[in-house]
Amino acid sequence: MLASSYKDEDGHISVSGSGAAAAAGGGSLRNKKPENTAFKQQRLPAWQPILTAGTVLPAFFIIGLIFIPIGIGLYVTSNNIKEIEIDYTGVDMSSPCFNCSQNFSWNSTKSCTCSIPFQLDQPYESNVFMYYGLSNFYQNHRRYVKSRDDSQLNGNEESLRSPSKECEPYARHDNKPIAPCGAIANSMFNGTTKPVNWRRPVYELDSDPNNNGFINEDFIVWMRTAALPTFRKLYRIIQRRNNLLPTLPRGNYTLEVVYNYPVRSFEGRKRMILSTISWMGGKNPFLGIAYITVGSICFLLGIVLLIIHHKYGNRNNGADVSH
Amino acid sequence: DDCLTQRMMSHPQLYIPGQLNLYFSKKAFFKCAIHSCYSSLVLFFIPYAALHDTLREDGKDAADYQSFALLTQTCLLFAVSIQLGLEMSYWTAVNTFFVLGSLAMYFVVTFTMYSNGMFLILPAAFPFIGTARNSLNQPNVWLTIILTSILCVLPVVTYRFLLIQLCPTINDKVRQARATPPPPPRRTRIRRTSSRRSGYAFSHTQGYGDLVTSGRFLRRPAVVSWSPGFPPVGRATSGFSPMGRSAGYSPTGRPQSSKVPDVEATSLQMYRAIKDPPL
Repeated sequence: MLASSYKDEDGHISVSGSGAAAAAGGGSLRNKKPENTAFKQQRLPAWQPILTAGTVLPAFFIIGLIFIPIGIGLYVTSNNIKEIEIDYTGVDMSSPCFNCSQNFSWNSTKSCTCSIPFQLDQPYESNVFMYYGLSNFYQNHRRYVKSRDDSQLNGNEESLRSPSKECEPYARHDNKPIAPCGAIANSMFNGTTKPVNWRRPVYELDSDPNNNGFINEDFIVWMRTAALPTFRKLYRIIQRRNNLLPTLPRGNYTLEVVYNYPVRSFEGRKRMILSTISWMGGKNPFLGIAYITVGSICFLLGIVLLIIHHKYGNRNNGADVSH
Repeated sequence: DDCLTQRMMSHPQLYIPGQLNLYFSKKAFFKCAIHSCYSSLVLFFIPYAALHDTLREDGKDAADYQSFALLTQTCLLFAVSIQLGLEMSYWTAVNTFFVLGSLAMYFVVTFTMYSNGMFLILPAAFPFIGTARNSLNQPNVWLTIILTSILCVLPVVTYRFLLIQLCPTINDKVRQARATPPPPPRRTRIRRTSSRRSGYAFSHTQGYGDLVTSGRFLRRPAVVSWSPGFPPVGRATSGFSPMGRSAGYSPTGRPQSSKVPDVEATSLQMYRAIKDPPL
């Protein structure tokens, strides 16, 4: 047996060869080495994925073939959803709400009304949902989002007496705590009450006792801040009355607006939306189009890669490793 | 499975990428930066467009700030996990457990943090109450997650596949070789071929007369009877046969190193001989 020298893990160079010396030294050395198990010697059975043509190309084709039908399904579903948007900001001179938008301001006492006629071309079946939409209203501004007191909204007595600091400057008024405090509550979108220093206190938001106070639906919907500057929030649901008649038949309708929420000062827009709902939600063709696009790209890429693989790939695959 | 050390010894070119600093250079960093830019744009704008003016299937609004945040971070998690799976080229049980476990842990922590219990303990610190259970039951949301993750990973897979097909590195060739017939029979084939070649080559030069007469070859462990010009038959591993151009012996008679390489190092010599001039 040839003598060999090696370094063990501690960095000590030791020589072991035949003979008694090896046995004595080898005993202590063997303790410092990790055991010769698969786990400690990193010999665990492993799967090594390699990007071969046999795995990548079928994967591309399968993804393409799955995404395209999903995209088509989503797009068709989205197209079948009926939706109508009516902007009642009153920007144009021809709009019925133009006078209201010009004259109404934050400290007007008299409310302004206007009515906008609109037409439904198709009957709206099943439940119809009515939303109010705002544009250019940044509910996702960080200071705005933080300006609330969830303990207070949860009914915590101590928070009702002393709102959190986050609500400043809408936490106290005349040395009295404001409930609900914060900028979010203060700017609540309303159909009937003034936003700044609400005319009606929170416990008179609705005559229905189940919808009053902090659990008022409109209040809850408003307090959940929207992510984007253009958003819509649920206002009311028009329930289907009976199965035979559509909920909103075809015809002419009128929207009566009590113009209470001035948005012209920040170039915002207000609108009312009527929409039906499907399993994928409201009308949004983006997801359908995106799936079709990505599916087609995948499929095309699969074909292109297949061509490349046939022309160039085989040339390199059989190459001699030694060269 | 083959022991990794033996494989590395048989393909010493695998050390070249490290020596040439191929994988940690400005070019590699630039590629990484481009990929991150692309991923960031995809991870924001796809959820943005998917949630823009969208509603839940029960009519309530879906585009609130908490749902948007949850959707984006879940897309990110999935994209990162798939990318990690691609980078990890050695899936042992331990690796698989930790990758899948971290994904599971994400969901556990998310559902815990967004639960009613945590909100009641500390309302100000957990404003995302109810988001997880209300958002993740929408098919819309899951379709967006799948789309975003696949879109993030698609360019990486395409780019790597193209690289492997058009300009494979030594790593790729070795891995492909693993997928095809195992190397040891190839090695024997190579030896025989090159020794045959060297047999021809050396027949035109001075030859190995001095080798035979010096008796140096007798120091080798097991030697098959051999003479210059005749390729050794049978398994070459049992004996010594000249590989490459010089195989440590110069036909011109110049002194060689007296180190006696064993069988393993001979294959090393085979590679070195092609690149280095004879000693």
